[in-house]
Amino acid sequence: MIKVRIPTPLRPLTRGQGEVEANGASVAEVIADLDSMHPGLKQRLYDERGELRRFVNIYVNEEDIRFLKGKETALKEGDEMSIVPAIAGGR
Amino acid sequence: MVAHARELDPFECCGLLAGSNGTVRHHYRITNTVAKDARAAQVFEEAHVKGLSHLPDMTRAEVAYFMDPKEMLAAFKDMRQRQLDLTAIYHSHTGSPAYPSSTDIGLAYYPEAAYMIVSLQKKSQPDIRAYWIRDRQVVPAEFHSI
Ligand SMILES: [Zn+2]
Repeated sequence: MIKVRIPTPLRPLTRGQGEVEANGASVAEVIADLDSMHPGLKQRLYDERGELRRFVNIYVNEEDIRFLKGKETALKEGDEMSIVPAIAGGR
Repeated sequence: MVAHARELDPFECCGLLAGSNGTVRHHYRITNTVAKDARAAQVFEEAHVKGLSHLPDMTRAEVAYFMDPKEMLAAFKDMRQRQLDLTAIYHSHTGSPAYPSSTDIGLAYYPEAAYMIVSLQKKSQPDIRAYWIRDRQVVPAEFHSI
């Protein structure tokens, strides 16, 4: 099982839960498993080309997956995955 | 927040406030990496807000902010350990009023947090205002200092 932290904007899809568990050997597999339990989640995280949306930060054990292997980053039992939307703006 | 904004002027500062039951108990300054992180421009582009690519790196931080993702994660972890919730997300406007820009609205991904803006448009009279930004609607949020 992988523990996944869900940001507040996505919690309506997880019945308000901020932490859920899912199975998968990679980030993409965990997202697919999450989507099977909480339909709609995948669509919020991926763009129309099937790539992770730019504003979505995903961390595995506090490492940004952009510096690992992106959504193909491997996961193992007990790993923690955090989904954190970017915070940005301007004038 | 005002001190932070003044220190970074003319660049935009940014940070997070955490608390419980709406009372702020902790302040996190977060580095504005908009000029350093190539992904920032992509995030802005994806949201169809302000284009940054045409601006020189130094100018970007005068008109925009992008919170350092690593520092953000560390702040959220610290909040969990302190059992605090995210209360507000703040940044400064160094030359415009304390009102959310279309860029701020287009990039508001946190419906539970108040968005606070420190305006330094009048340098001697900083103006701080707070808003809820949900589904692209801006509603003034009330706050008071204690
Ligand atoms: Zn702004």
